[in-house]
Amino acid sequence: MIESLPIAFSFDFLSAWDFWIGVGILAGIYGIFALGLQLNVGFTGVLNFGQAGFMAVGAYSSIILTVEVGLPFYLSLPLSAGITIIAALIIGMSSLRLRADYFSIATIAFSEIIRDIAQNSRGLTGGNQGTIDIELSNDNGFYTDTWYDASDWIQANLLDPIGLSDSQFSDLPLFLVIWTVLCLSAFALNRLIRSPWGRVLRAIREDEDAARALGKNAFSYKLQSLCIAAVLGAVSGWFLAINLESVSQDSFEPLYTFLGFAALILGGLASFGGVLIGATLLWVLLEGMRFADLPFSDDKDAALRFVLVGLILILLMAFRPQGIAGKKEEMVLGD
Amino acid sequence: MTDAAGALEAQSHQKQQALVIRDVYKSFGGIHAVNGATFSVRDGSITALIGPNGAGKTTLFNLVTGFYKPDAGAITYDERSIFRKAPYTIARRGMVRTFQITKALSAMPVMDNMLLATSKHPGEHLPTLFARPLASRAREKDAVERANELLDTFNLRAKADDYAGTLSGGQRKLLELARALMTEPRMVLLDEPMAGINPTLGRRLLEHMERLRTEEGVTFLFVEHDMDVVMNHSDEVVVMALGKVIAQGSPEHVRGDQKVIDAYLGMDEAQAEELAKAQELRGDE
Repeated sequence: MIESLPIAFSFDFLSAWDFWIGVGILAGIYGIFALGLQLNVGFTGVLNFGQAGFMAVGAYSSIILTVEVGLPFYLSLPLSAGITIIAALIIGMSSLRLRADYFSIATIAFSEIIRDIAQNSRGLTGGNQGTIDIELSNDNGFYTDTWYDASDWIQANLLDPIGLSDSQFSDLPLFLVIWTVLCLSAFALNRLIRSPWGRVLRAIREDEDAARALGKNAFSYKLQSLCIAAVLGAVSGWFLAINLESVSQDSFEPLYTFLGFAALILGGLASFGGVLIGATLLWVLLEGMRFADLPFSDDKDAALRFVLVGLILILLMAFRPQGIAGKKEEMVLGD
Repeated sequence: MTDAAGALEAQSHQKQQALVIRDVYKSFGGIHAVNGATFSVRDGSITALIGPNGAGKTTLFNLVTGFYKPDAGAITYDERSIFRKAPYTIARRGMVRTFQITKALSAMPVMDNMLLATSKHPGEHLPTLFARPLASRAREKDAVERANELLDTFNLRAKADDYAGTLSGGQRKLLELARALMTEPRMVLLDEPMAGINPTLGRRLLEHMERLRTEEGVTFLFVEHDMDVVMNHSDEVVVMALGKVIAQGSPEHVRGDQKVIDAYLGMDEAQAEELAKAQELRGDE
């Protein structure tokens, strides 16, 4: 009976732990990524379309500092965050004075420039098709191996005692670390946005001139918002590199920024909790569709996943424009 | 600093002028919106800025508060030049403004609108927010108290937790004024504060202005079209037409000034155009 249907769905995956952990890792990585977008777009009114560029700067610079320069892995992380902040300052100081829509175009250009550099500086990044071999060793150990050591420690001390030692839980430590970082970041941002500092950000989102007339340096606040988003982009880049065990420039196409926006809109603007919901939903949808046994070729199947996400976004806009966790008042109240 | 600006500062000190504007020009393309405006506002006075539509009053406000950059001239406030300074710098020196079209922050509660205007708040800067959390909390507590007092004055206390976007037009106007006063300003520029406010609240607003002037020495400069308000509640009146100041003095003096009468009553559009042309021919731009 089931076999005769043109579209069949295998539900085996629902019980596959490794599948869900994999989806959770992706949702977590792009959740951290989208938290930065939420701070910019949902709370500051800064249309950052270049988040994938910051992710690339964070991922590549931490890897280059470890593999090529030979610094310890854990030292490369704060340094690469610093490099990402410098990138944010350069793009912000040159373009944040532009009107919001022009700024967004400048940020897309920025992220594409970063990707072009990654594509063409073969010696440094592995170039177009090659990916940087992040398992190369240096005196201080490996990029991914440093992570594997940490992963083994988590497995031995936290997971084995509670009986999660099966091989399908091998990625669980990464999942736990990513989601801990995601939840802590969401919590911290939530506190921050409710502080007087966050109040200034929200005022700038509403009306920059009103904020300036009350003595607030709107430009400086927008720059701070962009720098924090850039650091979150860098953090998501580290986890992406660890998860893929390599990086290549096609992981940083503008598509990924827009997937971040999709998570943002699904979860709801101006809500950090919404980002967690949106990112989870988006990746469950995208990855879950792999198991739909559709009567199409594989490439059409892959394209259809994005069609479905688009359809859901359209329906959401029509029936719940504020997203799942967003506040309706913040969507509809205008001057 | 140029000698001229230095002399101007000395002069403003002598006469105890809060704001001195001299030969300020601003044009947009070929339109001379402000065409050599010169006037001063006495410290602790309520000064009205009047003039027919298109006289350049709002442009002048934007030039004084830094939202537009003047092409030429000199502007000093409290004995220091504020010529071409950024809006937030000018606001921090104690000069705040409201807008003709209100800028209530709609998607923020009324109370947040008020608290936003707190000046020198340690919690608004990340380093001090983390380094001095107690100072931030104390400042916030004081700010809430002050905000509640001001909201009481302007009949908005009951709306404190509502989104500003749910307020009526008149209430937004009041909120904007209350928010401006929240910054503890030394000088307030109001762009048509009475427009759209019911007469009872309007009187309340005027009383509050007069009390602030008398008790705290706050200086007010306001653009207004309601001549009753201008004649009865201001110490001094500045009249603008075609981007220039054509008269300044007491309400009685200005009321009898022939140029003012011409500007308001005697001049139709054709004459105004003629005057503008004549001025341009004289190279008077």
